[in-house]
Amino acid sequence: METLVQKLADLDEEGVLARVTDEMDKGTDPLQIFDACRQGMVAVGERYETSDYYVSDLMLAAEIFKQVTAILEPAMVGTVAETRGTVVIGTVQGDIHDIGKDLVVGMLRAGGFDVHDLGVDVAPAAFVSKVQETGAGVLALSGLLTIAFDAMKATVAAADEAGLRPAVKIMVGGGPVDETVCRYTGADAWGQSAQAAVSLATQWTEA
Amino acid sequence: MDKLALYQERYALIEKAIKLEPVDRVPVIYMGVAFAPRYMGMSIAEFCADPEAALQVNLAAMDRLNGLDGANLAGGGRIAAALTPLWMSHVAEPGRELPPDSLWQVQEAEVMTHEDYDTILDIGWNAFVGQYLPRVIDPAEFGAAMGWTQANAGRVQQLYREHGYVVVCDAPVMVNIPFEPLCGGRSMSKFYLDLHRMPDKIEAVMEVILAETLAQVEGAPDVPVGIGGTWLGGWRAASALLAPKLWDRFVWPYYVELANALIAKGYTPVLHWDQDWTRDLARLRELPAGKVILNPDGMTDLRRFKELAGDRMAVMGDVPASLLVAGTPDDVYDYVRFLVNDIGPYGLLLCPGCDAPINAKPENMEAFVAAGLEIGTLS
Repeated sequence: METLVQKLADLDEEGVLARVTDEMDKGTDPLQIFDACRQGMVAVGERYETSDYYVSDLMLAAEIFKQVTAILEPAMVGTVAETRGTVVIGTVQGDIHDIGKDLVVGMLRAGGFDVHDLGVDVAPAAFVSKVQETGAGVLALSGLLTIAFDAMKATVAAADEAGLRPAVKIMVGGGPVDETVCRYTGADAWGQSAQAAVSLATQWTEA
Repeated sequence: MDKLALYQERYALIEKAIKLEPVDRVPVIYMGVAFAPRYMGMSIAEFCADPEAALQVNLAAMDRLNGLDGANLAGGGRIAAALTPLWMSHVAEPGRELPPDSLWQVQEAEVMTHEDYDTILDIGWNAFVGQYLPRVIDPAEFGAAMGWTQANAGRVQQLYREHGYVVVCDAPVMVNIPFEPLCGGRSMSKFYLDLHRMPDKIEAVMEVILAETLAQVEGAPDVPVGIGGTWLGGWRAASALLAPKLWDRFVWPYYVELANALIAKGYTPVLHWDQDWTRDLARLRELPAGKVILNPDGMTDLRRFKELAGDRMAVMGDVPASLLVAGTPDDVYDYVRFLVNDIGPYGLLLCPGCDAPINAKPENMEAFVAAGLEIGTLS
């Protein structure tokens, strides 16, 4: 499986898909293949953190991983892949941008998280209700526009009002989000990239 | 001082700042498309629908902010129609698809297809755009909006002068690198995958677009009246988003070609760069000195810019939108102080980064102007 890990780390799309198909044909345990691909994604994330990879590379990696998952899924029905935790995510109310959020979803899933994606223009109550339903430990709020700041703040307030915190940790992210915005919204932390979201979720769920 | 004399004084000041010459005061420039109507109590729906109202409310907002030297771009026209060809995407409008007092939003989706690349190679870019735009905007509406802009271009510039304001990007030509409209039309995630999967075809398409864009520049008037600034933007082509091998091939060569062509015609390219371009700031040294303005949005590291290219080009910016929304007037003062002391004072035009957003706090925008006049006054 080392080659598969390496191929994914190197973003060799054709090589990864061919190898996955080959392993499936050989009867390899799909969970073992899936795990190798996850390890490849971890390597991708590490390369991003060292500035060897950029957002364009993360998008390609997420796309490859998505295709791998589609190949493996039919064979994985009934099996339970180990998850590192549950995350509820969405683009906040009033904002319809989903590219950054979708990349975070892809990287979190590849990182072993059970992710519940509520889509875009999500009302605070919908976030709260999904966290309550799933028992998620992490709530991730995305937004590209500055109008998202108030919606993020309202969502954090709704989470407080519902008594979700401090058990549930909240991160915010998206183009204009920075430390000032994080303080303004009352979130626990902010992330500048999809990889930062994975690191934060990992840190919180392992604590 | 009458408005015309004020305009001339401000014009001289801005011209010196662009040329990196000593100034006795750092110019303070306005940029805040959606901020103006909210600040002045106009609904965003009216702002979007009425091109004349959009013009007047921009001027009124600048007057109310009191003390600005000029504007990055002139107001007026219909914003959704103006944004459509930049993004090659439908722009949802308040009062139509969105609540009346909300912000317009680009609906980024995969509208342009792989087959469209072949069409561009077959029939050329401008012909393709003519066929494509009806997918994202009503042709009659687009035609009317562009008609207003063309018919009123001279009057708009005159109005700004009468109010005493210098418009930096006043050139009669505006072009873009091929990357951005292709990325907008395909949608970011699809286009980034295209760059990996079919690089040679994308490059061929970009060359077609470049050739037609250079011809457009060549056909523009030789000697611009006014500053001659021309907005040469970038957002999804930013260094922080693209691997160096992609940026080096699909982004930078096109900036160099277009910037040099614009400079040859007497224009001043204004690199309106959103997102973080820090990694590649040293490449700015490849552009002619004193002929280009960097216009970042607050995410690019201006200290690095100062080290790497600050002796060669002016910077117009970059009070972050997030600070104007979520910060305090004291935060804004501190940021302006940083800009004047660490990035300027020469070769600096103070301006909101990208633009002051719809929900920028009025007191923060007022602090921006006051801080610019106070801290930016050097003698």
